[in-house]
Amino acid sequence: MSDRIIFEDVSKFYGEILGVNRVNLSIPPGITSLVGPNGSGKTTLMNLMTGLVKPSRGRIEVLGYPTDDPENLFKFVGYSTQFDAFPKGLTGFQFIYSYLCLSGMPLQDAERTAWQAIERVNMVDAASRKVAAYSKGMRQRIRLAQALAHNPKVLVLDEPLNGLDPLARSEMIALFRASATEGCYVIISSHILHEVDVISDQVILLSNGYVVAEGQIQTVRSEIQEHPTQILIRCDRPRELAAKLFESEYTIEASIHNDGRGLLLKTRDADRFYLAMNQLALNGLQIESIAPADDDVLSVYEYLIGNEEVVR
Amino acid sequence: MTRLWWTQVKAVIRLELKKTFFAKRGLWIYAVAALPVLLFIAYAVAMSHEQHRTTEIARDGERRLAYQDLLAIKPGMTKQEVAAILGKPPLVFHWTERRPTGPNSTEEILHEDLHYSDGQNDLYLGLANGKVQSINIHEGYNLGEDAIMFAGVFQFFFLRLAIFFGCLGIFMNLFRGEVLDRSLHFYFLAPIRREVLMAGKFLAGLLATCTIFVTSELLQTIAFLWHFNPQTRDLYLYHNHGLEHAAVYVGVTFLACIGYGAFFLVAGMLFRNPIIPAAAVLIWEGINPFLPALLKQFSVIYYLKSLCPVEIPVSPGTPGLFALFISNADPVSPPLAIVGILVVALLALFVSSVQVRRMEINYTSE
Repeated sequence: MSDRIIFEDVSKFYGEILGVNRVNLSIPPGITSLVGPNGSGKTTLMNLMTGLVKPSRGRIEVLGYPTDDPENLFKFVGYSTQFDAFPKGLTGFQFIYSYLCLSGMPLQDAERTAWQAIERVNMVDAASRKVAAYSKGMRQRIRLAQALAHNPKVLVLDEPLNGLDPLARSEMIALFRASATEGCYVIISSHILHEVDVISDQVILLSNGYVVAEGQIQTVRSEIQEHPTQILIRCDRPRELAAKLFESEYTIEASIHNDGRGLLLKTRDADRFYLAMNQLALNGLQIESIAPADDDVLSVYEYLIGNEEVVR
Repeated sequence: MTRLWWTQVKAVIRLELKKTFFAKRGLWIYAVAALPVLLFIAYAVAMSHEQHRTTEIARDGERRLAYQDLLAIKPGMTKQEVAAILGKPPLVFHWTERRPTGPNSTEEILHEDLHYSDGQNDLYLGLANGKVQSINIHEGYNLGEDAIMFAGVFQFFFLRLAIFFGCLGIFMNLFRGEVLDRSLHFYFLAPIRREVLMAGKFLAGLLATCTIFVTSELLQTIAFLWHFNPQTRDLYLYHNHGLEHAAVYVGVTFLACIGYGAFFLVAGMLFRNPIIPAAAVLIWEGINPFLPALLKQFSVIYYLKSLCPVEIPVSPGTPGLFALFISNADPVSPPLAIVGILVVALLALFVSSVQVRRMEINYTSE
């Protein structure tokens, strides 16, 4: 059995409209974020992964199982969709309980497991109320509870933090983090980039149905050659440092930081630049810290996709 | 594995039944199912009233009459001869007619209407100048005629319209309704085979339609028998195949729900607009008597008609096409009809099972 979520040359067309095109992915355990503007194909990719839509071309496998085998697939996959509709007349508890009953779980086990899932998303007090009367955030949480209820190995979460208050957001992020630490595959779509940056182990950047980059964010950043790497150096004498750095052939641009206690510079060869920095430090300059300034999701997103529809 | 599937089917049925029975958009189905019941209740009330009136006339008569006594009266008999057989009439209406016989002369004719009853049947006699001129026997109730009326309502309203549209409303909504509500993904995200989901939904629809229409059918039978006196009712039920007919009607209702249910389940997956398949199937079922023998077999009504226990007679003056529509020109044997309808339903369910595997969640295209 494969231990990856695999997309092999997958395309999806809705009639003449492109969903995603020629996607090749191999998603490892941990938190993987799908990032891209609206219409870039994030939800399509998630729907393909869970068999809700079928690929027009290519092959998808989730931990060795084809996506057209829901009976086996959803034993280890939980999907919290963006669809904000629920079966009519159900309470929050009944929503989770019915879902577990559908999986064939004995009724008593289903009841116990449903309550556990409801507790995990802090919805116990509202569980006996009709879902139709829930706020947007509550509906989001009950959907998360449904996705989590059967302790799936693969969690697919479409915009899972939408509509949640800050406290609930941090609770959910902790929940995803804990699942990832246990070896789960947590696939999250989001366009809130600072959150993606904080929680993701790897990212998949999508634009107009194409995967434009994938992998750990630092790796992705290092592969973007046309944008020089930005490095922030904290030191006591930034002007002196700037003058010395311009003697090196790797420095393209340098500017003094707004607070006057640091230097922001751009280089085309970060590795050699760091070696040169070591030499400078040995020559008596007091350097507090050196850190990349643009190897976060936001920067990579802006370099590769542009800054449309991004929530920083 | 089979046990798991059965557990899952039961879970689907539990979810679906609640929705099917209490859905606001399905209330009209109850109304359609109740319509023939109301019709037979109204008929029974009218017949009971008529019965009450006839009994009162019989009671007011000079003697207790039998049906044979009513038949004994012939045209030309005098009033005295009539009275000798039937006694003094309980109801008499009379009036005088002045009929001109010449330019200045008129003849006076005494008209009398006598009304007798044996408690079930009415005899209306028209006398002119003391002699019987017209005889009209109005039979109070006739089980044979009423059974044909019941068969007519069953075949031409209940089967072809009530069950047909009821199944359309319930089975087409099993998948279609959830696509429109954008909640079908709830099922598609569960670890359940799509075919098992389809089977669960079909059984839930079947349970709902059977409950509604079999209840309606039983209530119709009760309403139909209500106005008969206990002796006539017992005679019909226990000695005249009445119970057998009632059971067959229930069976035909059940089979109709299976047949039309399977049809409309697949139609709900293939069509967005229910009017198109409804019209197509309605026309197909309607023109069934005029189709070649081979095509007839791909129809539900073809088999159901053959199973109906009472054949509706065609009056001699009925136009040819209409007579063909009413009659069952080439009936199939009951076992063959049952197998036929089950085969048609299984074919439809097979297409449904293929279709449900192909279904995708793409609400935006709806």
